[in-house]
Amino acid sequence: MEDKFVIDAHLHIGPLGAFFLPQTEPDDLVHLMDRLGMSHAICMDHLSIMEGCGAGLDNHRERFERSKGRVYYLGVFHPLRASACLAALDRARDWPGFAGIKIHPAMHRVQADDRSYEPVWAFAHQYHLTILTHSWSVSDYNPVQRLATPDWFEAYVNSFPHARLVLGHAGGRGNGRGQAIRMVNEHPNVYLDFAGDIFCHRLIEQLVQRVPVEKILFGSDFPWIDPRAHLSRVLLAEVPSAAKIKILRNNAMNIYKLGLSC
Amino acid sequence: MTEECIARIAEEKKGLARELRFFDASVWLGHPEGFPLAEEMVPDDIKQVLTSRFITGGLISHWRGKSLSAQQGNEAVLQAVRGKDKSLTAIWTGLPLFPAESGLVPGIVDVPGEVRAVRIFPKSHGFPCVIWCMGSLCDWLSARRIPLFIWHTELDWPSLYAIAKAFPDLAIVIETQVRKILYHTRPLFALMRDCRNVFVELSNFAGQGFVEYAVQEFGAERLIFGSFLPVNDPLVAIGMVIDAEISRQEKGLIAGENLRRLISEA
Repeated sequence: MEDKFVIDAHLHIGPLGAFFLPQTEPDDLVHLMDRLGMSHAICMDHLSIMEGCGAGLDNHRERFERSKGRVYYLGVFHPLRASACLAALDRARDWPGFAGIKIHPAMHRVQADDRSYEPVWAFAHQYHLTILTHSWSVSDYNPVQRLATPDWFEAYVNSFPHARLVLGHAGGRGNGRGQAIRMVNEHPNVYLDFAGDIFCHRLIEQLVQRVPVEKILFGSDFPWIDPRAHLSRVLLAEVPSAAKIKILRNNAMNIYKLGLSC
Repeated sequence: MTEECIARIAEEKKGLARELRFFDASVWLGHPEGFPLAEEMVPDDIKQVLTSRFITGGLISHWRGKSLSAQQGNEAVLQAVRGKDKSLTAIWTGLPLFPAESGLVPGIVDVPGEVRAVRIFPKSHGFPCVIWCMGSLCDWLSARRIPLFIWHTELDWPSLYAIAKAFPDLAIVIETQVRKILYHTRPLFALMRDCRNVFVELSNFAGQGFVEYAVQEFGAERLIFGSFLPVNDPLVAIGMVIDAEISRQEKGLIAGENLRRLISEA
């Protein structure tokens, strides 16, 4: 698999009514993975993000098998549908391809420290699972982002140390970035990815300087963002090649416990 | 995967990026407004970054032209490029020609040779992007073959459609800042289908498959490379071009040939 080595650790599947996207389907993803040298991906479908994982996990399992084990998946925990989501997660936790849990406090409009998240943190702690969360900065044009700034996760991170937390989007483009960096440095079970349109100049170099490189994951946010927007900035970043290999592959394998070899 | 493989892939990408001779529509001086983590760059630093990112030159703007006033932004960007090498030329900020305002306003004064394009900020500067307010400026630009640039966050789609139809010789470049244009792809693509004088800039044209879709539907001639440096890393938009599933010739057009042609007519 040497020609395909990249693991995209943050992406989505399926259309979304809010905007037009020409490529959103699993076949589009696999075609792109083949072209870009991506061996594996970790995805969530938009249906599960909107309605909770009870709606999408069976499709994800089928997709993993159809992709010959390349497209892993996360189960989305929706705090307003907690019981159904927990039951679905419990059913799926030993399935092939199941890689962890996704939460999205901004989309679900429930602040990240709300007590309604406690069951999923306890579940992740009990089974030593990884939770990927949306994280961002306070935003004047998108006020719900304040529900997902990195500091809000800290109490749960402290209370459930066997759960691993990945701060998706690295806290965004504003004050959340500093919070994300602090959290990653202060907590052994906190990591970050730079999926999404955080296209900031020299971001990769700055992250490598400021947090342990073993805690940085490559993610694209496909189909919202084309993976090609991120891939070259990593491959051409002014950081050692060994760091690039960790960011593009090894860290995702280790943090999501994918059972793959280097 | 070995470190040698990573280094080889990186060298291949660098080689293609150099060959394509990128030319940048969106380089900015001054303090980036609304991007608290972005750092202001002076012209020499910008030149150094562009060179290190395989970009041969481009159009430079000044944030002051949005956040303070058109006149002061135009003065500042002119000072930055005047007497320097010709790889960077300027974009001025435009206003409606009536009421006539004093100072360096394109159309009130003629643009100097260092200025090759005009950008408007209708929402920030308090005027509607409609013909009865903007028409005289559009006439003036059109007669001089000077392209008009506009952020998608500063326009409303029905009004821009009317302007593009009314001024078919005016090249209009829709820029994909200061937020991703993803949420507006339905009107953007419909506008590009109907108006061949509308172009799209790439710095946040980052949805999955957008480059291939736009090339297939509208032609590579309609895409303009832009980085949005120093807010964005130029390698973002460069990566979308060099890895696109389009021909080498189409990549060359997008990377720089289209923009060079547009501003050479000015």
